[in-house]
Parts: sequence; structure tokens; C-alpha cells
Amino acid sequence: MASGLSAIFLENRPALLRFLRARGAAEDAEDLLQDIWMKLETRDIGPVLDPLPYLYRMANNLMLDRYRSAIRRDRREQDWADGVGGVMADPSEQVAIDEQMILKQRLDEARGVLRALGPRVEIIFRRFRIEGVGQRVIAQDLGVSLTTVEKDLQKAYRAMLLLKQKLDTE
Amino acid sequence: MSGADAMIHEEALGWVIRSRDPHFVDWDAFMLWLERDTAHAAAYDALMAADEALAPIIPAELAMVPHPANDPGYRPRHPWRWIAGGAIAAAAVGAISLSLINSTDIYTISTRPGETRLIALGDGTRIELNGDTRLRLDRLNPRFATLDGGEAAFTVRHDAKDPFRVTVGDALFEDAGTIFNIVRSGGSTRIGVSEGKVIYNPKAEAIALTAGRALADDAAGVRLMTVARDAVASWRQGRLVYENAALGEIAPDIARSLGIALAMTPGARAMHFTGTIRLQRDPAQFFAAAAPLMGLAAVRQGDGWLLKEEDGPRR
Repeated sequence: MASGLSAIFLENRPALLRFLRARGAAEDAEDLLQDIWMKLETRDIGPVLDPLPYLYRMANNLMLDRYRSAIRRDRREQDWADGVGGVMADPSEQVAIDEQMILKQRLDEARGVLRALGPRVEIIFRRFRIEGVGQRVIAQDLGVSLTTVEKDLQKAYRAMLLLKQKLDTE
Repeated sequence: MSGADAMIHEEALGWVIRSRDPHFVDWDAFMLWLERDTAHAAAYDALMAADEALAPIIPAELAMVPHPANDPGYRPRHPWRWIAGGAIAAAAVGAISLSLINSTDIYTISTRPGETRLIALGDGTRIELNGDTRLRLDRLNPRFATLDGGEAAFTVRHDAKDPFRVTVGDALFEDAGTIFNIVRSGGSTRIGVSEGKVIYNPKAEAIALTAGRALADDAAGVRLMTVARDAVASWRQGRLVYENAALGEIAPDIARSLGIALAMTPGARAMHFTGTIRLQRDPAQFFAAAAPLMGLAAVRQGDGWLLKEEDGPRR
């Protein structure tokens, strides 16, 4: 049964293929397109407000999944090569408490970083990243321009990514 | 990172932010950017993964709160619980006493705890002061006020060319046709907007607070929240209205309105309350009705009162 979404898919197949190639899928692009088609045909997807962006989103998510599993595979192989693959962490309570403390310290540090950017940046970043609110809605809510929201998000992201990098090398 | 790499990184970050938006539709433009350089897709993937890895270090709570409270702003609205009965305490509108500071044009108006005052400015703007409040006004500029402490409700005659401004601590609020209420207590500021719009720090953050919105700025950070419009400045009608507020934040409101010293046990401070508290002139009568409502017991302590957790099992 070709639903509305499937029909849109068939109409836009070449564009979606081009997108997957642009995203770096190379020779796997056709297979990935087939995956999307299977999902559309086998899953009961309710009515979609904006079908074409929805299909692009599906394709983009597939590529992100691929990237994630490639990273995980690399890491496993690296761990194996380093000879730490078989060593399990001691699951004692002490470890858990240490981890909790580290996590708390990291959260405090992140809080400090966000606060330092000023209340507007902090509010916008939280609404976008934690609550998943769209930028247009955020802009309307706060009575600021869309550009301001995007610039604030960039500021917040830069600072948070820098902090993450710093924490990872500690 | 080389200059070119840094540029790709910045562009990729822009696309991460745009494409993460639930309403993102500009996939064509994104595709064109990806096609310009194969390094673009790699940079985008790496940054999307980095974005995902941020999750564990993004504080879930809006801000650090010294007690196990939570922020009422991002919770769904709860229906208000109303108290039946209880006389509405008439707010005594006292005469205005002006005390000159030095010989400048700035003058201070203050109220004692439990006393309220109405100030009518020449332009039709009205300011109602709750108890234990200090407000500074400027003889030369009737469109300007500073709230040094306490609570005041502003009903502002709007003039787009000459907006009314209130400074509170480091913050500036600018009206855009408005009824709003500000509480200043310790280092914290709370503003609630009942009608129209207020701009918070117009030169910096420029956050527009519309009717039904509130902003709190304290040691925990700045948060936006939703308030019931008729709950803003409800002290003028002899009631205090709260939605999931920590009792530690409610205590100063009660003390200011009743003109009493009020202490709380740490356990009581951390508790939360949603509902309406009717103000009554007589503290004994007030606490007899209000304390059980908050799940607390009130006892006299020296010249003031102490709120503590109820003895025995909770209802």
C-alpha cells in the first residue's frame, strides 16, 4: 500500500539519493534509500505535516546512525589493540560514588559556563537543547530576532563543546 | 586547526544548530553546502556526535538551587486550589511620606512591614507598595523608579516615546504598556507581568515578558516561567497565590504582608506549595488557617513566628 509518504518518496527518490551521496554515503546510498523505503512500507507512520522534510530527516538520521556505529567499532578495535578490551571496571559502590562526584563537578562546571554567557544565551540554549523547542518559537517567546537566537545558540554551543573537549582530556 | 578547517567547523556548527531544529526545512541549502566539499559531511557528523555527547553535562535542572526545590516555570500548569472563606484583608492605603535624600531630586518612599501604600505619579502611573518596601523616585524624571527592596506593583501609563523604567539591582525593566509586580528580596529579583509587556534589560538581553510570564533572577540563575495573570500582585487583594513555590520563598512574602518576623525550619523551607493564601491582619488567625494549608504548624517564637513541619502523620 503506497501511502502519501511513499508517493512523496517515489517522486523525490533522485533528490534523496543525491542528498545521501552528499552526506557521504558513497556506494551505499542506494541501499540506504532501500532501507528508508522498507521503513515507510512496513511501519505505520501517521500523517506527516511536512512529508518531504520528514524524508530528508529520515535519511539524515540514517547517516548519523552509520557514523555512530562506525565510531563505536573503531573504539572497540582500538581497545582490543590496547589490550584493555577484556578488563571490566570494578562494579563496587565506591566507583559509583566517584563517578557521581565527577558527574556533579562536571555539571557544576557546565552550569558556570552557561551562566557566564548571560541569561538570554542560557535560556535560549536550554529551551533549544533540553526542551527541543524550535528557534522560531523561542524568538517569538523572548521577543528577539531569529538571528539573535541562532547567534546565541552558536555562542552556547561553542562554549559547551570547548568545555566537553577540556573535560575529555582531563 | 587551520584557518580553512576552522571555517568548516563554524559552518558545520551552523548546520548542526539549524538541522537540529524540529522545524528545519531547508534541506536543499544543506545539500548544496555538503556538495561543496566532502570535508563538510565529515565535519557535520563529528559535530552532531559531539552535540549528542553534551547530554550528560547539560544540567537538567534549570539552575542550582540550594534546597531540593525545582523550578516551577517549566512544569505544566496545575489547576489552582482555592481556599473557601476567609475575609479579604483590606489593604490600608496610607498617606505618602517623602523623605529627602540629601538635596538631590531622588526621594525614597518606604513602608513598614505590614503597611501598604499607593503612590500616584503625575502622569497617571500608579505604584502600590507592599509592606517592608523601599522605592526611590526621581522628581525630575517621573518615568523612573528604583526598587531597593520589598515588593511593588506598577500600573504604568504607557508612552512608547518615553517608556517607564524600573531598576532593581543590576537589572532594568522597561514597560511596554503594563501592569507588573516586582519583588526584591536579598539579592534576588522576581517580576510577574499581569497586563501588556515588560522588557528585561533592553540594552542587553532584551527579553520581552508578556502577560502571564514571570522572570526570576537570583543566585540560582535566571529563569522564565508562567504565572496566572490574576496571581500577579494578588497581595493587593489580600491574597498570595503560588504555583509549586518553595515555602522558603513564600515566607518573606508573608512576613512583608503581615509585618511580622517569620522563621522556618530547614525542612519546612524545602517544602512546596500550590494554592492561595488569604492574608488576615491578625497573625494568630492567619496562621490558624494558612499553616495547615501549607502542611505546616505555626508557633509563636519570641516576638515572631516559627513555621515547622506538622507533628504527626501528614494528611
